[in-house]
Amino acid sequence: MKKNMKLGVALVTAATLISGGAVATSASATTYKYYIAYQGPLTGDNKQTGLDEIAGVKYALALYNKANPKAQVGLKQVDDQGSGPGASVVAPGTAKDKSILAIVGPAFSGASVASFPYYKAAGLPLISPSATRVTLTDPSSTDFGGPVFHRLPSKDDKQGPALAKYAIQGVKSPVVYTVNDQSSYGTGLDGYVQSALKALGHAAVGTDSVDGTNTTLDFSATISKIKDSKTNVVIYSGYYAQAAGFVKQLRNAGFTGIFASGDGTYDPGFIDGAGDAAEGARLTASSAVFQDAGKAIAADFKKVTGNAPGTYATEDFDAANIILSCIKKGNTTRAKIQKCINTGTFTGLMGNTIKFDKNGDTAGAGFINAFLVTGGTIISKGQI
Amino acid sequence: MHTLISQFWQLTFSGAVQGFIYILISLGYTMVYGVLRMINFANSEIFMVGTFATIVVSRDILGHQPNSGDLHGFTLIYSMLFCLIASMLASGVTAVIVELVAYRRLRSRGTNRLAPLISAIGMSIVLSESVSLLTAGRATIAPEMLHKSSLFTILGANIRVDQLLVFIVAPIMFFGLQRFVNHTRLGKGIRAVSMNEETAKLMGVNLNRVISITFLIGGLMTGAAAFFFETVYEATKFNIGFNIGIAAFTAAVLGGIGNIRGAFVGGLTLGLLETYASAVLGSQWKAITVFIVLVLVLLVRPNGLFGEAIQQSRV
Repeated sequence: MKKNMKLGVALVTAATLISGGAVATSASATTYKYYIAYQGPLTGDNKQTGLDEIAGVKYALALYNKANPKAQVGLKQVDDQGSGPGASVVAPGTAKDKSILAIVGPAFSGASVASFPYYKAAGLPLISPSATRVTLTDPSSTDFGGPVFHRLPSKDDKQGPALAKYAIQGVKSPVVYTVNDQSSYGTGLDGYVQSALKALGHAAVGTDSVDGTNTTLDFSATISKIKDSKTNVVIYSGYYAQAAGFVKQLRNAGFTGIFASGDGTYDPGFIDGAGDAAEGARLTASSAVFQDAGKAIAADFKKVTGNAPGTYATEDFDAANIILSCIKKGNTTRAKIQKCINTGTFTGLMGNTIKFDKNGDTAGAGFINAFLVTGGTIISKGQI
Repeated sequence: MHTLISQFWQLTFSGAVQGFIYILISLGYTMVYGVLRMINFANSEIFMVGTFATIVVSRDILGHQPNSGDLHGFTLIYSMLFCLIASMLASGVTAVIVELVAYRRLRSRGTNRLAPLISAIGMSIVLSESVSLLTAGRATIAPEMLHKSSLFTILGANIRVDQLLVFIVAPIMFFGLQRFVNHTRLGKGIRAVSMNEETAKLMGVNLNRVISITFLIGGLMTGAAAFFFETVYEATKFNIGFNIGIAAFTAAVLGGIGNIRGAFVGGLTLGLLETYASAVLGSQWKAITVFIVLVLVLLVRPNGLFGEAIQQSRV
């Protein structure tokens, strides 16, 4: 349904442009000896996520280049449109471009899987800020991205149970309804939420999938079902723009129970979009919003990149810094950077320690923070 | 199934509201098809332009902010009227420009029928990508002008003021348009062109003018739909027209493209069908159900429920 003829035409045009252009775009102004790349959706339906993410990388690079004026590092933008097919168009060229030492990305799990064969063959190290599909770091799966793939976010199998637990916390007799946005992130997380609910003895009374492309904004049928099932807890797995519209309509329809959602909704944009309806929303995420690092740095971020820090900005900033710190230590080949990422211990924006295990997950990962929307801001409630 | 029975009237009301929005957009497809026998692929972006016009007027010109509270009384009425007119005009003018750029020139050069189709798709991509660049691909939130208060409950259905507004005003606009096409001089011109272009020309109908006006009317209706959409859903994005455009086009085909009454029945059927299907089978089955029904209808009635072409809608 999403892909019609119009899109087909657009894709052909876009594919032509991408295969010839995108990898080389940022090289036009100044040429650098070494580059890092960002790979994610920079055009298409999900470009909002990509633009938020690349801003984090740009900010890290700006700080690095200011501090190391003699050994500046450039950025190449790799636009995979957030999809597997998009990724298989751009990944071969990116793998061949020897000036790229490492990639922050791919942003999405499906695009990651499609890119792996090329990057594995070229030994190009990856640190994804946002790909959370469990199988990406499971050596027994065909989706496995090792040894080149690393990621910063917690996996969905950690977040799902935490989200389920937090959503029903303090509710006397929870009747839970789960909703996902049909994206691979949303359905994946929803699956873990549902099995966790079952384990907690409060299996969901119903589940629905809404259109997550953010072009369909009518949720009335889903909301009718929720009201019909006498639900008092709704858990939404998906991204914030859609979640904002959903919760608004849910509250407008008179729902007074609890609304809970995962890290896709953990974004100031959720509150901007939903307004009063966001109040009381329970959110989980494995990181902190960039803004928590302090007003000054958030303001500087906006000044440098032109954007306020958005989704996954913290992870992108950290991922870029890990690679840059490896380059700074004199690792200027892909193999050396790969080794540096695998063996090093790094410090994140929030002062947290980052170390990767042999499959590419952060060692000791699995902490999930709980948040509550109070008075129009996201307030941390500590680890869950 | 249980939901369908216990929430039947609620679903019917929501579905009808959605259907009325589809009807107004599908007029943008059906009117143009009626006179040109061509599909206006840019109509989904004409809708998108309308949604942004509504927001720009209410936010930047009238100065309402997304969280600045609801409006009441006279302010509410003139704000909404102003936004409705702005949205209709923005979409109407965009439609006329689309006709000038994508259709007229090619038509006068006598190109084959596929060329304007591609140029319309081109216009549509230009429009949506330009807005995408301007908004950095983000969703834009509309100020809440009309508080979404529940007015009353009838047969268990909760009737909200914004939905009721669509429920009442959209059909009035539709029937107004139908009267215009059937009873005015210009409307007769449109019907004459839709029956036979050459004969209409010989009868002294100014072809280019009629075609421009047809695009304008289709755009005005699509713009009204955009305003209603913003009143109910309060958000838009550069690609907002995509799914809703396909839905409205489907509605037009279901009713019989080129047929104004067909657009009404098609839009309403589609809105209800989508809502019922979502309730019974789950939202992910919505599109599948709709298209299965469309194919079945077309198997039995290849020209849609009401047959093709504007002229057949004569009373």
